[in-house]
Amino acid sequence: MNLILFIFIVLLGFTSYYFGRKKAYTIQSTNKRLTALPQFYGYYLAIWCAIPAFIIYSLWAIFEPTIVKLLILSDYANQGYLDDELNLIYEKTKALSRGQFTGEVTSFIQTSSEKYLNLRSIAQSSKVVIVLCIIIASVAYAYKRISSNNRTREPVEKFFKAVLFTASLAAILTTVGIVFSLIFQTVDFFKVIPLFDFVFGTHWYPAKAFVRDSSEALDPSMYSDTFGAVPIFAGTFFIAFIAMCVAIPIGLMSGIYLAEYASYKVRQYAKPLIEILAGIPTVVYGFFAALTVGPFLKDIGTAMGLEVSAESALAAGGVMGIMIIPFISSLSDDVITSVPQSLRDGSYAMGATKSETIKKVIFPAALPGIVGSILLGVSRAIGETMIVVMASGLAANLTLNPLESTSTITAQIVVILIGDQAFGDPKTQAAFALGMTLFLVTLSLNIFALRVVKKYREKYE
Amino acid sequence: MKRNGVKMIKINSKNVDVFYGKKQALFNINLDIEENQVTALIGPSGCGKSTFLRCLNRMNDVIDICKVQGQIIINNFDINDKSCDVVRLREKIGMVFQKPNPFPKTIYENVSYGPTIHGMAQSKSEMDEIVETSLKKAALWEEIKDRLHEPGTGLSGGQQQRLCIARAISVKPEVILMDEPCSALDPIATAQIEELIDELKKDHTIIIVTHSMAQAARVSQNTGFFHLGELIEHGSTDKIFKNPENKRTQDYITGRFG
Repeated sequence: MNLILFIFIVLLGFTSYYFGRKKAYTIQSTNKRLTALPQFYGYYLAIWCAIPAFIIYSLWAIFEPTIVKLLILSDYANQGYLDDELNLIYEKTKALSRGQFTGEVTSFIQTSSEKYLNLRSIAQSSKVVIVLCIIIASVAYAYKRISSNNRTREPVEKFFKAVLFTASLAAILTTVGIVFSLIFQTVDFFKVIPLFDFVFGTHWYPAKAFVRDSSEALDPSMYSDTFGAVPIFAGTFFIAFIAMCVAIPIGLMSGIYLAEYASYKVRQYAKPLIEILAGIPTVVYGFFAALTVGPFLKDIGTAMGLEVSAESALAAGGVMGIMIIPFISSLSDDVITSVPQSLRDGSYAMGATKSETIKKVIFPAALPGIVGSILLGVSRAIGETMIVVMASGLAANLTLNPLESTSTITAQIVVILIGDQAFGDPKTQAAFALGMTLFLVTLSLNIFALRVVKKYREKYE
Repeated sequence: MKRNGVKMIKINSKNVDVFYGKKQALFNINLDIEENQVTALIGPSGCGKSTFLRCLNRMNDVIDICKVQGQIIINNFDINDKSCDVVRLREKIGMVFQKPNPFPKTIYENVSYGPTIHGMAQSKSEMDEIVETSLKKAALWEEIKDRLHEPGTGLSGGQQQRLCIARAISVKPEVILMDEPCSALDPIATAQIEELIDELKKDHTIIIVTHSMAQAARVSQNTGFFHLGELIEHGSTDKIFKNPENKRTQDYITGRFG
């Protein structure tokens, strides 16, 4: 029913577009000059048709359940029920009216459920009637207003602006919402675990927090030496470092090759091929690292007499680096290509060779943009999860040996939140604290990277 | 310049054809450039004058689809020959472009760029001297001597173009090619550059492509008129402007087309 009404409103909107435009054409044909193109009158009428109807429709959808509930529960008022009990009664009523109630049916609930069904059907039909009335009224109003001296361009333009604004607002509000959900849980976490222990502690062992029975009271002292994040911070940056050691040289060099040396034809094929790397899901990289690269490194290490863990930081970091190559090569290729040709000509005309020109003119000119692309790569490396979870182990070792396994912030969040967990438990909240840290680090990296890129743009435009 | 009454020829081009892919841009150009004189190349847009200029220091090499045929002889040596070292050639033949294109480096680094590449200075003081002389010759020294280490891109348009001229002359080229060097500048900066060109011809042979007939008349001793990829007429500027032989030259100079 709701869906039909919805589609009906949309169809009416389209229809009124044609009527609005038609009226405008009619006015135009009587040799009167319009203040806007005919389609603006169409949009004008369509907006007037659909928007008030949708507003009423959504307000109704929001308030209907609350009002129905109030009406149902008013029968039980002043009988000494607690709020929880009232809620239970209401849920039972709803379940019964849907035919899903399996318990004992009391006469009270039977009556309520009939009343509920009754109310719902009244609500439904009155909604349809009201929405239709609104449509008729607003379309009639707007249709009457269409005349040669009525301005429709401004309200239509304002409407489109408002739609676009709402879209961007939605994205921003979501971000703000995520940040707040992180903040509250993080604050709760630090109420139990001192910030100092978290930032400077060297033992990360969240499994210890499982031991607690939920009926016991929370005793902060039992979490000492459990949530020291140093090993996983170190692991995160260590693996990101290994990844960048792979990604920066290879990405940058292939970017320079594509931008400066590759012929048009090679570039045409090579660039999409490199960008395919960016399209491979990280899970695939993950098992590539865990099942191919990891054992391979272990075999080589054993042959050389080294002790290599099958899940090593090297395997995870190396594969992560391969994943980041296309970001750096593609971005730095763009940046280098956008260095004006006049600078190249200037350098060649001085007798500089290609490599001298790249080294002395193009690279310095493109440097801010290249730094920007590298920083974006770093923030990806820090935020990458799947490869690390699969290839680098989950035990948070504090080590700088790339052949041992280590763990990262992202992998630990996965470890903590996989399976059952209790909200309000320090173990769960630890994930939020880690998420917050990760968010702050990548946010500042991104802001910094965007600044650098922007500075570069100002230089040439 | 005449030595013992004989015109000294610096550049001698014979039967030069240029192709962009399948399209021919220049047809059989034969043009001699006199030493220590200013030669102006004029003609309507797309007539091939810039293309010809870029042949003289092999800048057309940069464009993949461009092919140059014929001989261009400088100092008894054909620059289109396989044995020609482009790096040395461009050291001898400098170029100034239409739009000022200083490198995003300091003023000092802009000027020292060429001498560094060609290893012309043995010490810092020698380099300082080259930079100072070049900037003085480009009539820029007085304006910027206190801010040598500020970015060259921060200068005004006219200053930037003089910086590019300083950069070009820093390697003491024998020839300077100028591709509409004043088209992005205001009249005052243009006058400064023109004055400078006159000064520079003492030490360098100058070839300037220009859209402004008045500029060609003011700065050049010789003029070549290009039209649709052909060299229609060339000779002393006086003769071309006052008494052209070809009807098309006359039409262009009097503003009847172009």
